[in-house]
Amino acid sequence: MYIYLPIAEVSMHIGVIIGLGGGVGFLSGLFGVGGGFLMTPLLIFFGIPPAVAVSTEANQIVASSVSGVLAHMRRGNVDFKMGGILMAGGVVGSSLGVVLFKFLQSIGQIDLVIQMSYVVFLGIIGALMLTESLRTIIRSRKSGGVRRKLHQHNWFHGLPLKMRFRRSKLYISAIPPLVIGALVGVLAAIMGVGGGFIMVPAMIYLLGMPTAVVVGTSLFQIIFVTANVTLLQSIQTQTVDFMLAGLLLLGAVIGAQFGSRFGARLRGEQLRGLLALVVLAVCVKIMFDLALRPEDLLSVELLR
Amino acid sequence: MMRVQAPYTNLFRMQTFSMQSLRAGLVLVACLAILICASVQPAGAAPNRVVADLSDDLVEINSSYHGTELLLFGAYRGMPGDDLILEVRGPSTDLLQRRKEQKAGIWINVETFRWLGVPSFYHVFSTRPLAEIAPLQTLTESGVGAASLGLRLAKSKGGGGSHHNGGDDSPVSRASASTDEQNAGLVRNMTGLGLWATRTGSVKTQQDMLYRTALSLPSNVPPGSYVVRVLHFRDGVAISESKTDMKIRKAGLSALIYRFAHDYSLFYGLFAIAFAVASGWLAAVAFRRN
Repeated sequence: MYIYLPIAEVSMHIGVIIGLGGGVGFLSGLFGVGGGFLMTPLLIFFGIPPAVAVSTEANQIVASSVSGVLAHMRRGNVDFKMGGILMAGGVVGSSLGVVLFKFLQSIGQIDLVIQMSYVVFLGIIGALMLTESLRTIIRSRKSGGVRRKLHQHNWFHGLPLKMRFRRSKLYISAIPPLVIGALVGVLAAIMGVGGGFIMVPAMIYLLGMPTAVVVGTSLFQIIFVTANVTLLQSIQTQTVDFMLAGLLLLGAVIGAQFGSRFGARLRGEQLRGLLALVVLAVCVKIMFDLALRPEDLLSVELLR
Repeated sequence: MMRVQAPYTNLFRMQTFSMQSLRAGLVLVACLAILICASVQPAGAAPNRVVADLSDDLVEINSSYHGTELLLFGAYRGMPGDDLILEVRGPSTDLLQRRKEQKAGIWINVETFRWLGVPSFYHVFSTRPLAEIAPLQTLTESGVGAASLGLRLAKSKGGGGSHHNGGDDSPVSRASASTDEQNAGLVRNMTGLGLWATRTGSVKTQQDMLYRTALSLPSNVPPGSYVVRVLHFRDGVAISESKTDMKIRKAGLSALIYRFAHDYSLFYGLFAIAFAVASGWLAAVAFRRN
């Protein structure tokens, strides 16, 4: 059964939409990531206009982040103060991102920038995660492992505006989380992702937050960043497809259930290694798309 | 006897590509009516009149829309060897054409051209290849084929740039001739999107009196006012012409969502967020129970 998507202005098989939601939902439940970095390229691949894919995915991530953050809140794994500061940066960054998106669209380079961002960020994050998980796997096979320091001190611990983050057991300047929030916000708006896959490593390795609170806090701020993108894109470009988001959501909710159950059987470093491979696979696919000669060097865009 | 039976069986088989058998029946009746009218007309009066009609002159894009096929049919007073050309033209729009080049190993858009007043939908049907029906000049004078669409090009300033927001561009003064490469690319791209098509030999005629063809509308069909034109050619000259209108519009839930998104975009955004938060919360509750 096909369904006509009113904003994307194309029709898609309802099974494909729910299947996409379910498949990506499964992976996001399995790995504890939002899955936007998989969904947005897939939607574009299935013929949804890039602008609609990005905005609609932001809307869907609002829902998946809300359902994710509730579980973390119950376990007290959300640092609201840190989340609030990341969010403040994120709202500013994503607003800039939406403006930048429209500008890039008007000069015909939005596809390129989306693809380049995917290649660069998925490449870096995937490679980092893969080496990290491989190292952990090798180390755990060799010996009992080396105990690491709680977190490393680096140059930006000397910045002003110091604040105490009790839940994260940190006393650091508010500037780094603001800047990180803003940068991830820009990327979230352009790439149609929540940005968790960049935010989580940044929180661990740059801010030195304890791993337990990282995912919950990241999800908390993603809600606001993606809600901001949803609102701004609705007003500015009218590219949020409510029908598409709802159907994707339906699939994602079911998929995530199976994913998280399946994930409980795997070990952390194995999971991260697998996720790294998925991330790198997406990265390589997009890299090929950019490097291979397109079938047609000319393309058209109808102006409405 | 065979010659009489053939159209009837064909008309009934049409259900498979048309909509419902009821509609096919109506078409049959209409065809017969036209045929009778046409044949009783005295030979001297309006001898070359061609008539056009559609199985449906209003197409609604609702939530279950996934493209559709219409029957384009009518009657004409023909002779053996006559030709028919049918064209279906959608609302005109401006469009941007982009050209890619390889830069530092990757393919990027380096140039943007703006085409003015391009039909967003243009399907041509004919009894034979257009070139065999009439010389290009005649076709162009009759306004048939891509060459006669009056396409104009306004070249953008700077590489990759465009006039997305319109404002300053005065298309007429900066209109320039397009190259063959651009023309061919436009036809290729629009054909690839299913928005343009040339279907030669797709018009079926019966006894030089009735004609019909199937118009397939893709799922990405642009809504708006459409014009269907039929031209009757004899010995390379257009001897008769007829027009009829068709409307394509969004309807039902999809129209409602579209209007909501465009007319009340702030509330639409807020609603989308509220819906997402509510369903996320609901999912979390369902999760916990399990």
